[in-house]
Amino acid sequence: MLAPRRVVVPVPRPASEPAPGTFERGLVLFIHEVHKVVGKSAARFEDAYRGGWMPTLAKGSDARLLWYFDLAHGSGLAYRVVTVTAVEDGASWARLAERLAGGDLQSWARHLDGLQHESHGRIMTPLDWSPSIGALGDIPGDPAVHEPTIYMEDTMWPYPGKVGEYIERSGDVYRRSLGAEGSRMHMSIELSMQAMPGAGRYPEVTLLQKLSALPPLIHLLTNDIPPEVTGPGSWMHQALELRDQWRSKLLRTAVWSPLQ
Amino acid sequence: MLFLHETHKVIGRHASAFEDLFRDEWMGALARGEGARLLWYLNHAMGSGPSYQVVTITAVSDGAAWEALARRTLAGDLSELASKLDSCRYESDGKILAPVYWSELQEVDLAEMPVDGREHELSVYMQDTGWPDAPLDDYIGLWDHDYWQFMRRTPPEKRLLDIQACFQVAHGSGTRPEAILMQKIMSLAALGGLLTSVEEYDPDTWPGSYMAKGLELRDQWESKLLRTSSWSPLW
Repeated sequence: MLAPRRVVVPVPRPASEPAPGTFERGLVLFIHEVHKVVGKSAARFEDAYRGGWMPTLAKGSDARLLWYFDLAHGSGLAYRVVTVTAVEDGASWARLAERLAGGDLQSWARHLDGLQHESHGRIMTPLDWSPSIGALGDIPGDPAVHEPTIYMEDTMWPYPGKVGEYIERSGDVYRRSLGAEGSRMHMSIELSMQAMPGAGRYPEVTLLQKLSALPPLIHLLTNDIPPEVTGPGSWMHQALELRDQWRSKLLRTAVWSPLQ
Repeated sequence: MLFLHETHKVIGRHASAFEDLFRDEWMGALARGEGARLLWYLNHAMGSGPSYQVVTITAVSDGAAWEALARRTLAGDLSELASKLDSCRYESDGKILAPVYWSELQEVDLAEMPVDGREHELSVYMQDTGWPDAPLDDYIGLWDHDYWQFMRRTPPEKRLLDIQACFQVAHGSGTRPEAILMQKIMSLAALGGLLTSVEEYDPDTWPGSYMAKGLELRDQWESKLLRTSSWSPLW
């Protein structure tokens, strides 16, 4: 039996923060990686990110580690870690890739090869209506330890030719419904993004959604979805015209993850 | 230079329309910009794997050029054409490749790449994708010393394959560890022999020594037999 963890209630963004869809320095790209970690090396894998990747990136201006998540045991595959690293732009990403392939980060990458069976990465761009992560320079490279936070990461695969409409409607309808008074899920979208052509599966849309309370999640997991949520007129019903395949992952931030 | 490798899962009844769009519109539209050109358009040979799969490889001059191309595709002058392509495929899987240190293909003169759909004979490639359970760098080194170097010394008339490029996946854009060989098949008779003979490799002679040593680093790879279209810029 896994011990229950306390979930942190998110602090509302200050009014001075950038409006949704705007970014401090152009459109940041996100490197989203799912790591299949060697179970015996899980702690060393985490150390490699905490003591290597995160502070190394923080020394420059090209990139920052944003999130380090563990896929919650009991909700899916074992020993899976999800990392999200932001890069300023395509040129910054290419510089980072070169450092890993043959530069100062090559030995770190080699070390990581021994700690994971494999990783699957994709490069993503924020949707027009995505909340902002703010300036990369403001992302801490030595963050304070905090309580873990639970996220529901949803990845959707719209029907052929429907990705544009899906993105628009999910912003207009789904995002607003999460923020509406009386929303069932007590969840907020922290980042919404789609795969960049040529750097992942396309079309593919991912929402990173932070839970502010556990009981609604437990209710979702243990009860049938009521007809008013799935019936005509509902988002669940309307969205079936745009997609019917998605996957949810329950992710828990590491206590040192820069964003929580 | 970087190389966009995309595998398109095409809707079967739209296969001709998909290829027509790529040849008649997409290839030329790419060339309106300076940083990207289509290199290969390859059909996965039916009878050797999945149906209606197309592999395309596009060269981009650098990371900024890739981002510019991606943004043109998502919301720029290529978005309408991309929507047409989307309607002809279920999905595409992309990754960005960087040539390994020993790959003969490092740079492409983009301006010299034909974009007019000129026709030629077909050729077949064996694309090998390997996933080592050892550090990626060691695997790439094995391919250099124990595969490519031996192949180079083989007289052309005796070669099954000509290794035209070797890539690794650029960080965060696909699977790690993974490396890819683009090998043009030089002898269909030799391919037939490979497919139909039961080979017992002598670990003391090549290729047996390579097969034996390779097991120290990997035992999982996938070969795809890819046939160029008659108009593929490279073939």
